[in-house]
Amino acid sequence: MRKSTRWLVVGGASALIVAACTPAGDDGGGETAGGELVWAIGGAEAQPGGVHQQVAELWNEENPETPIRIELLPEAADQQREQQALELQSEGSGFDVLGMDVIWTGEYAENGWLESLEDVRDEIEEASIPGAFESATWGGELWAAPYNTNAGLLYYRSDLVDTPPTTWDQLCQTATQGSGEIGGFIGQGAQYEGFVVNWLEYYWSAGGELFNDDQSEVLFDTDIAARATQFMADAISDGCYAPGFNTAQEEEARNEFQQGNAMFMRNWPYVYSLIEQDTASPANGNFDIAPLPTFDGDGTISALGGFNNAVSAFSDNIDAAKDFVTWAATNEEAQSMLATEGSVPPTMASVYDQLADDPVMSLLGEILPDAKPRPPAPSWNEISVEMQRALFPAVNGQTDIQEAVEQVRSALEGAVE
Amino acid sequence: MTRVRPATADETRSDVAPPRRRGSGLSERALARVFVAPSLILMALVALFPVLYAVVLSLFEYTRRERQGFAGLGNYVAALSDDRFWSALWFTIVFTVTSVAAEFVIGLGFALLMNQTFRGRGITRAAILIPWVIPTVIAAQMWFFMFNVTPGFINSVFGLGDFNWLGQPGWATFAIVFADVWKTAPFVALLLLAGLQTIPVEITESAMVDGAGRWQRLWYITLPLLRPAILVALLFRTVDALRVYDLVAVMTGGAFDTESLSVLVQQYVVRTPDPGYGSALSTLTFILILGIGLVFVRALGRDIAIGRTEGAR
Amino acid sequence: MSDTTTTMTRKASVPVPRPVGRRRLWVKAATLLVILSWCLFPFLWLVMTSLKLGDRALNSPDLFQGPFGLANYRNVFEQDFHLNLRNSLAVATMTTLICITVGSLAAYALARLPLKRRLILLTGVLAVSLFPPVALVPPLYEVWRSIGLLNKWEGLYLPYTAFELPLTIFILTTFYAAIPKELEEAAKVDGATPFQAFYKVVFPLAAPGVFAAGIIIFVAAWNEFLLASTFAPRNPEIAQTVPVAIAAFTGQVEFQRPIGTITAACVVVVIPMVVVALLFQRRIVAGLTAGSVKG
Repeated sequence: MRKSTRWLVVGGASALIVAACTPAGDDGGGETAGGELVWAIGGAEAQPGGVHQQVAELWNEENPETPIRIELLPEAADQQREQQALELQSEGSGFDVLGMDVIWTGEYAENGWLESLEDVRDEIEEASIPGAFESATWGGELWAAPYNTNAGLLYYRSDLVDTPPTTWDQLCQTATQGSGEIGGFIGQGAQYEGFVVNWLEYYWSAGGELFNDDQSEVLFDTDIAARATQFMADAISDGCYAPGFNTAQEEEARNEFQQGNAMFMRNWPYVYSLIEQDTASPANGNFDIAPLPTFDGDGTISALGGFNNAVSAFSDNIDAAKDFVTWAATNEEAQSMLATEGSVPPTMASVYDQLADDPVMSLLGEILPDAKPRPPAPSWNEISVEMQRALFPAVNGQTDIQEAVEQVRSALEGAVE
Repeated sequence: MTRVRPATADETRSDVAPPRRRGSGLSERALARVFVAPSLILMALVALFPVLYAVVLSLFEYTRRERQGFAGLGNYVAALSDDRFWSALWFTIVFTVTSVAAEFVIGLGFALLMNQTFRGRGITRAAILIPWVIPTVIAAQMWFFMFNVTPGFINSVFGLGDFNWLGQPGWATFAIVFADVWKTAPFVALLLLAGLQTIPVEITESAMVDGAGRWQRLWYITLPLLRPAILVALLFRTVDALRVYDLVAVMTGGAFDTESLSVLVQQYVVRTPDPGYGSALSTLTFILILGIGLVFVRALGRDIAIGRTEGAR
Repeated sequence: MSDTTTTMTRKASVPVPRPVGRRRLWVKAATLLVILSWCLFPFLWLVMTSLKLGDRALNSPDLFQGPFGLANYRNVFEQDFHLNLRNSLAVATMTTLICITVGSLAAYALARLPLKRRLILLTGVLAVSLFPPVALVPPLYEVWRSIGLLNKWEGLYLPYTAFELPLTIFILTTFYAAIPKELEEAAKVDGATPFQAFYKVVFPLAAPGVFAAGIIIFVAAWNEFLLASTFAPRNPEIAQTVPVAIAAFTGQVEFQRPIGTITAACVVVVIPMVVVALLFQRRIVAGLTAGSVKG
């Protein structure tokens, strides 16, 4: 018995020591010393050594009285949004600048979490790509400053395909003509936001629209939608799409293509440098990029991604924060640093003229003027989920396509009310 | 006995308390309350108030995050008339029944094995526990990676070509159940192993002497005596399975009819926040799980009462 | 009284070994092999993947596709992972200790002492842990923020204890109830208070259950993700725990999922857990001879 008594005493003592030793440090609120700004942004590039850190350092050199530091959020956009929402809902002043995914503008603005940027609107509008600028507005007001962008590209195996296809039908013809050893096309077909992005690229390239400019009217065309959905459904059943299509997100699609299991891929620009570095990949040295095809072969449409910087309405340093977000959107050095140091596409239109040497950036320079953002409505999350739930089963042959597009139409109309 | 006995040699042992006065100490009844109080207080403070808060929230109507007004049971009616709720409920029940049944059988097998003495039993026991100690977030990613057609690990090991496990209804459910069974059978095994320790050797030995075979021993002696441990294991595995979230969210995202109740709740609390509706869904889930849990608790309560009086004769 | 002593020797109910035929032995060995592969094969995958370098290897279905190296492990520790380990260890240990002590008292009362409406109490205790945690997070976050418990160990192990107590109480009540009352009566006759009767007689005899509960609580607290990612989302130097840190790992570029680093972190995490499990499991099975009963 003595033994276990001693055991218990030891346990109790160590418990007390442990409890007393909780490391002290900044609490969750984050004390901002003097004029220090906190930039809540996540992802790989926000890590120490990443390009966002370099941008922050550049600002700090030029503005030593209002330095900015990065509060690192997780990689996944959903987690970033959750962490920002928790802070903003309790009206905390811990974050001054928010790195927001382009589809969150409406939601954040509606909740009163953002400071309006109307007074710096002209400066920003002049410098930015129109699509990116649109994604930062809602209700006619500017709520965020574009920072970096993203657009979908068509990757293809240049050793298997001579000229990149300009229509979707051409693409599927080429894809299914292969010997069957290599899969056809891989995109983001799992049931998540990326699926809606891919579907919109088909829908928009067939001439469809979702809303009018200020989201007050639904312009959804069920016939065009049915055509786009039918195309995808046929592509799955004909084998134009590679087998892993309906469970693939960005990384799975990249792996398919990079391991040499697909001839075509729709993905964001980030894949380019990864394949270039991977000398063991069958695609290395044998691939190229092109604009996404459309249904009739004219032009190209791609869905916009990327991040905008916004100022928290609860910040203690609103003026300095506004200066920063404007600077980050309009300063040539900072914006070109995004491209050259981090391969992150900038939103400043003039920067693309200087980047003609970089294959990815020059292609983006061609595509971005026509790239469309998803509607910045506060209800976009709800709409997206409804679209996923209606269209995903239809594309996979489980429900009727006509019913599915009708469902999407009612969801859109419900959002407008 | 309430009389105070003079100190004897035995009682000069150092770990005996100073002279006890049986009559003037706390009565057993009050003592019981004192013993239970810390637990109740801790649980009430931390766990009870958020539950009440959520239930109250569920009575109001919201548009996204803005409160619109009192809705009474409106959210509940909306939830119960939504097909999506019933599909989620169906999947959750199917998942729970299959995975708990499999976990029980496998867990029992593991426990019986871990109970034996043989060379390498320490390592075996550690090996059996490994699936359970792996953090769920990693285990979910791992099983996604293994089942998914890209890179197709399971497909290549079993030569299945391009079989799309996660991309079709039915098989997607199977994959999730498989991953859950792999991960939590050790938990059941652990509880049953501890339970096996409370079965005195003499009973099994005398049964063997009487000529009972292995299966008879298992069925007629071991299992009945193991009943309390089995009920606790089943109870907690069931309520956990009814709340499955991580595996579903990472492996399929709820596609192909694999949306569980927790995934549905999560959507309305976090993804497309509607505090009223989300809380209503949570409360409905809670009521369901509590109801099922009650069945086990009643059975367990009887066992505990019986256990006290019979002991291990 | 000697009957009781013999009855309560803590040796497990191991069947008396009897001569087994060779076929028996093969069957046993084969079963063992199947069980070990079932449990360990995915873990082998984890280990192999954590040693792989480069996209080709990491995404190949072939376990033995090289090149191999330790770069992933280096990556893991460069991200202050050892601090996350420290945080998780502290939080899980505190949770376990508090749960066992507080829960034991409650379980003993439920098993032994006269308590009205036992069943209702048990149900209430259970009900606490049944509400979907995701819905409890917003109100809890508000309160924690106003009390200042965010980003602190206490802010984690207090709710963990509250949510793990039901399971603890259930397990311990079951085990305490299984111990015959006669032993305690004997102790009380010798003058022990109910507390001493509990502490010297019941607790040691219920050791298997106590250690089983202990390891269950430890692992549950260690692997908990939802509350940890809300209350201590960043800052490994303060309170960020292991699962949250792993979920926050990033690759070199956006979107990239660093499967090599994630599996390396997992292997690093599993090893101490297995050590803890080995320590505890010996207590569960080895049993303690009854020193508490006066011979």
